Amino acid sequence: MRSYIIKRLIYSVIIAWGILTITFILLRIGPTSPVDRYLLNIAAKGQDIESVKQAIEARYGLDKPIAEQYLSYMGNLLQGKWGWSFSASMPVLDLIGSHWIYSFQLILLSTIFAILLGVSLGMLSAVKQNTKVDYATSIFSFIGISIPGFWLGLMLILVFGVQLGWFKTYYDTSYPIWSLQNLKQLILPVLALGIGELAAYVRYTRSAMLDNLRKEFVTTARAKGLPERTVIGKHVLRNAVLPLVTIIMFDLGSIVFGGAYLTEIVFGIPGLGQVSFNAIFADDYAVVVAVTLIGTFLVLLINLSTDLIYTYLDPRIRYD
Amino acid sequence: MTEATKAPRRISSGFNSRLAGYYWERLKKNRLSLVGLGFIALLALLGIFGPLFAQDPQHTDFNVKNLPPLGFSIQESIYDIKTDSFTTTTLPGRPDHPLGTDSKGRDMLAMLISGSRISLLVGLLATGIAIFLGTLIGVLAAYAGGWVDNVLMRFTDIMMTFPFFLLLVLIVFILGPSLTIIVAVIGLTGWTGAARLIRSEALSLRTRDFITASKALGASDSRVIFNHMIPNVISLVIIMATLSIPGVIMAEAALSFIGMGDPMSTSWGTILNTGQHTMDTAWWVAVEPGIMLFLTVLSFNFLGDGLRDAFDPHSII
Repeated sequence: MRSYIIKRLIYSVIIAWGILTITFILLRIGPTSPVDRYLLNIAAKGQDIESVKQAIEARYGLDKPIAEQYLSYMGNLLQGKWGWSFSASMPVLDLIGSHWIYSFQLILLSTIFAILLGVSLGMLSAVKQNTKVDYATSIFSFIGISIPGFWLGLMLILVFGVQLGWFKTYYDTSYPIWSLQNLKQLILPVLALGIGELAAYVRYTRSAMLDNLRKEFVTTARAKGLPERTVIGKHVLRNAVLPLVTIIMFDLGSIVFGGAYLTEIVFGIPGLGQVSFNAIFADDYAVVVAVTLIGTFLVLLINLSTDLIYTYLDPRIRYD
Repeated sequence: MTEATKAPRRISSGFNSRLAGYYWERLKKNRLSLVGLGFIALLALLGIFGPLFAQDPQHTDFNVKNLPPLGFSIQESIYDIKTDSFTTTTLPGRPDHPLGTDSKGRDMLAMLISGSRISLLVGLLATGIAIFLGTLIGVLAAYAGGWVDNVLMRFTDIMMTFPFFLLLVLIVFILGPSLTIIVAVIGLTGWTGAARLIRSEALSLRTRDFITASKALGASDSRVIFNHMIPNVISLVIIMATLSIPGVIMAEAALSFIGMGDPMSTSWGTILNTGQHTMDTAWWVAVEPGIMLFLTVLSFNFLGDGLRDAFDPHSII
């Protein structure tokens, strides 16, 4: 077991390194330079652009060949130096340190919302198979899967922000992170990000429950005279949870990079999605590479822990 | 080629017309998937023939800006410098712009038609590239096995872990926003899921008797792959393709929405991008393209679900 974990960790590091390299090269071969933003100010003051550009690039080593830049970047990274953000004028680590919490909070809250509601609706739908409740839930989940999250976000702002005036149409960063006001303004973003996931969980839970409801041990449990609550809660649900864990964890990885990214942009939440998005436009390669690297590692760790949780939940599975 | 050598090929092929007829019968029993298919057909007709009748989607006319859709009306206040007061007029929708206009006076109907063309084009082309690559890589990995399988699957792992949307934004930013590049990037990065699924399906096929028999009869590798393996995974390929089109359409819309779409064409995402800034004065600009996007994605999901049931021999319809 231990050797399996070590093997997987080494493998994760190699994948993350590959992704880091691709991102770095993609950004550095781009047509723009991270110092372009400085140059706009300099041009406005009427100084000679070319000489200033060369001076700044020489200072940060941006005039060297890409291979050399890459080696020095990697060398710094291994010493724990994440580099300098040109667009924010601060160390990359400080930039990430002050923004990660917004993304984390958004993803955490919407995941909890989606799991709690999704799994319960899915169970309800399976237990009441082929009733009106089941059909209504199915239609709801079809709609939830098909609705583009960023558009749902816009519509929520339009209805509850612009028309009804219940919520602000912008994100106010002056509140403390876990204060009630901040949680209130997260309601719409959490809905926009969570509904797609929720709908997917409803479908997975329903089909996993239905698979198990037909099994013989369920018939046995019922024949023993166990109350329906025990049959569903203990016999069916516990077996249905297994495939759900994989799917939910896998989705968590895609949320980190897909949905949260767009939700942050729609609602103006200053999380890592917003940060990396702005960094791409500013060609601020150190920030993009750092955010990509952290996100990738997160996804790889989630994948690894999924496999480990799986062996714990289902002792029949062994990795050796 | 004589008849004798042709005959076994027809039997091994998973998709002859009689079988297609059988699947169609099964699909027809799923009402929702027929509704989806109908909407997609309508959208395709609209995309192909609509531009012939609609106005120019890029034509701006500030005299008719912010017109509401037919049946709706908005209040418009104009400051009159002579009387130093605001005069409020009610602005109803007009029949020559049945779905209204945006803040630059562009006709919404024409823009939505142009958008349906772009969405379908991007969805079909990019999915086509992705599924073709995925099938090829999946079947090749499963059939070749050994180090080829190992290399291909590790490469798939890296591509899978790569933050898809970030990569998309990055490449489009570097290479410049054009439809060709968007299609190519989505197609060249979106094959990983298909490759994995097809590989596992092909792995189980590889040990089946008819493959062994075909090899024993001296069939070449390419013959086994193209005449036996691929026809047998084709139903899986069709389902995968149908169910991955919505993701591609959403990715293009999201890309255009954040301002990285092709500036030379009008897609639903581009309209949403302008619409989000005028939600307080012209809500329909943000609402209409989203409804189209939603209905399109819903239709493909309905169809994909129906196809999965139709192709699944265990499902009772």
